[in-house]
Amino acid sequence: MRNTSINFKSQVTVKLADVKLQGALSRLQTRFVEGRSAVIGEIDDLQATRTAAAAIRDRVLNDLEHWLLQFEQQATTRGAIVHWAETGEDVNRIVAEIAAQHGVKTAAKSKSMVSEECGLNDALELAGVKVMETDLGEYILQLAHEAPSHIVAPVVHKNKEEISDLFAEKHQLPRKTGIAELCREAREVLRPAFLNADMGISGGNFLVAETGSVLIVTNEGNGRLVTTLPRVHVAITGIEKVVPTLEDVTTLVRLLPRSATGQSITNYVSILTGTKDNADHDGPEHFHIILLDNGRSSLVGSEMQEMLRCIRCGACMNHCPVYQNIGGHAYGWVYPGPMGSILTPLLGGLEKSPDLPNASTLCGACAVVCPVKIPLPDLLRKLREKQMEHGMKSRQETFMLKAWAWLALHPAIYSLTTKIGVRLMSMLGGRDKLLHSLPGASGWTDGRDFPAPAGRTFRELYRQGKHK
Amino acid sequence: MRVGLFVTCLVDSMRPRIGFAAIKLLEAAGCEVVVPEQQTCCGQPGYNSGDRKSAEAMARKLLAEFEAFDYVVLPSGSCAGMIRVHYPDLFRDDPALLARFTALGQRTFELTDFLNRIAKLEKAPGNFKGTLTYHDSCSGLRELDVYKQPRALLATMPDVTVHEMVESTTCCGFGGTFSVKYGELSTRMADNKCQHITGTHADTIVGGDLGCLLNIEGRLRRNGDHSTRVLHVAEVLSGLDSEK
Amino acid sequence: MNARDKILGRIRTAQARQTTGAQVETISSHLARHPRGPLPPTPDDLVACFMERAIKLSSDVLETKDRMGVPALLASYLNKNKLPMRGVCWPSLAQLPWQVAGLEMQSRPATNQDLVGVTGAFCAIAETGTLMMLSGEETPATTSLLPETHVAVLDPRRIVATMEDAWDLLRKEYKQPPRAVNFISGPSRTADIEQTVTLGAHGPYRVLLILAPL
Repeated sequence: MRNTSINFKSQVTVKLADVKLQGALSRLQTRFVEGRSAVIGEIDDLQATRTAAAAIRDRVLNDLEHWLLQFEQQATTRGAIVHWAETGEDVNRIVAEIAAQHGVKTAAKSKSMVSEECGLNDALELAGVKVMETDLGEYILQLAHEAPSHIVAPVVHKNKEEISDLFAEKHQLPRKTGIAELCREAREVLRPAFLNADMGISGGNFLVAETGSVLIVTNEGNGRLVTTLPRVHVAITGIEKVVPTLEDVTTLVRLLPRSATGQSITNYVSILTGTKDNADHDGPEHFHIILLDNGRSSLVGSEMQEMLRCIRCGACMNHCPVYQNIGGHAYGWVYPGPMGSILTPLLGGLEKSPDLPNASTLCGACAVVCPVKIPLPDLLRKLREKQMEHGMKSRQETFMLKAWAWLALHPAIYSLTTKIGVRLMSMLGGRDKLLHSLPGASGWTDGRDFPAPAGRTFRELYRQGKHK
Repeated sequence: MRVGLFVTCLVDSMRPRIGFAAIKLLEAAGCEVVVPEQQTCCGQPGYNSGDRKSAEAMARKLLAEFEAFDYVVLPSGSCAGMIRVHYPDLFRDDPALLARFTALGQRTFELTDFLNRIAKLEKAPGNFKGTLTYHDSCSGLRELDVYKQPRALLATMPDVTVHEMVESTTCCGFGGTFSVKYGELSTRMADNKCQHITGTHADTIVGGDLGCLLNIEGRLRRNGDHSTRVLHVAEVLSGLDSEK
Repeated sequence: MNARDKILGRIRTAQARQTTGAQVETISSHLARHPRGPLPPTPDDLVACFMERAIKLSSDVLETKDRMGVPALLASYLNKNKLPMRGVCWPSLAQLPWQVAGLEMQSRPATNQDLVGVTGAFCAIAETGTLMMLSGEETPATTSLLPETHVAVLDPRRIVATMEDAWDLLRKEYKQPPRAVNFISGPSRTADIEQTVTLGAHGPYRVLLILAPL
């Protein structure tokens, strides 16, 4: 997927004005924030579980090489073929080769955010493979030629009316209005795709090293269908998704649905190991697992390594007041919200995403809900430090910061400057005691008045003994 | 208890009354209050913008000014959080300084937290009469666990009625330089907060951080609301809110 | 150097920079121990807990004293819900008195035309009201996946408390996991349209659990 995060600021303007989007976002807040809150109490000791989950992720990240080798060995023993891809293009090439090798004409696909990174669908279409998205949200996006705006609820930005119109147009069937009717129509349209597909493509929520398995969590049944019916199954995920044991992945599965959608468990949890043996009636004859790097390895052993703990639950963006107001498309790439504000610059280049690390108040709501305790505000700040180190900040901002620091380190001059400043601003505030515009700070005064200072500094009044 | 008061740069320049309110409250709680006069800024604006060097310099200055006190108290969750949570991070590679900053952090408190949990102020000397709603500033809440303390102190005032707003703990959109750099977004977040405030029909919005309060007041007034009062919790608790 | 070598090489170099100093458990040791993380509290009554959670996730739950009663119970359920009185079942259930109960039950994997699929389950998990299904020759996956109604006949003594208990059972009875282990927690669903939960997406519309001792 093309990285357009450079347009963040102008996109913010557009999204804030988008009334339909704003309605959709408030629905998301109700369902996901309240949803999580309702079920997270089912976990006996949430903080201990989060700590355990973070430790499970760190165990692997601190020795990623050997855990990947363990996974590869186990998966291969069971009959899977493990591929390694450095970039998204490599993934596309590998999948196209597998398709060609097995005479694949059609593929049914369940959700994979990593495949969005790669732009897999377009690449496969060019290679002559028809790809049907089967996750309802992803299917809707495929019809509408749009990108997902949330990693768990990809079509959260659309309302029912838009989907009714879309289905009526694309399916050439009478327009349905009820949500249940729309779902039924999608089921009937997509069922043949499952039955006839030569290849099933899935993501992988986790890779279990102990058994060489790919674990996927789904609700719709499409994940099971694409990994059971077609003769070839290709699973694509990032190298950081390895988890040591079945017990370890269970701790994570306890946290993931609750954090993501407010479900105690997703409807289906599928642990897929190897290929069908002769006696099996169903299952793929060929199982390919593609491990994608795409910049993840550069985070290993770095001060940003904790970001690799991410289990893609979406809780951070659900609770982020910035995301809640602008939605996911403004972030310009596959991953939005707090985790996207960190991953997009890290994987795509900081120079391409100058706004993402800065468009946050560092309020910390994300860090509170992250099931694996990623210190998201600290990582955002570290990216800001990198921007500073590499001279990526505007000259104006750099000057203002240096000037302020210099003043603050010279109390006498600070004292004089602030005395003058507050008198001036207090005068400008007039009787209203409000400044309606501030030179150099139109970002504030375009939408807000600035309350005038009292007119004297605390320092000078204290010195005069005004409180005695 | 010998308390060093750090009033914060915003209080110093915008609302000195908050600093005096803090002194009054700390003295009412039986503390000896000293206000080191060379204090300026805790370094948070630079730190959050990625300028560690400036933040380090300001941290060292603050350490020199405040290390000798039994306690360091601030009428701001975000500046207190900077000292307790982030100063140690700035000096993580210097064991000697790290130890000193960690110790300083353990003695550093946001004002209502100090009054309620440490000094155990039994009754707030203020005489506020009316309804108010409380905005929980992010740093105070999430870095320092400030939530119950201001409410407990307000509860000692018989004529105060607190109407809790929906989403009192959602960020108001200030975020320091964010409020100017991402002004549209910041304004929308402030507006959401103002909707929640007016939803309570309270006379007054109260909070523990002046940055948030300036942001909220700025949006209220631009929206045409000139009647909702905007006060720092120290002003309400101390009774200085009724002064001119 | 191929992609594998390059990726592993980068990771190796990066990891060499890390200086944890702490004594780290070996991979084989951790795999051998496979320790459990924090667990939910064990319910007093596993069966009651399982039923409560399964119902919460929109499964229907019925009980009967023994296996032989299953066909009559199913017939009455299908009748009540105006569902077809025919389906497909796993071989292990083929010998139950289906015809007597008025049901036409074929012992074969499901196709797209079948509307009712009757399976057993490897075990069930009380923690979330979940069925654990293992793929295999005698346990085709399509039976619980393609039909609109999935019926699972479950021995209440195979209800365990947690997912971890289910893994222990798997390790005891199987050398390694089969090709597919599926946890099923109710009818398929989606909330992609306006965040409104709708039952019956691509998988079954309804799940009936019949608790019947073997």
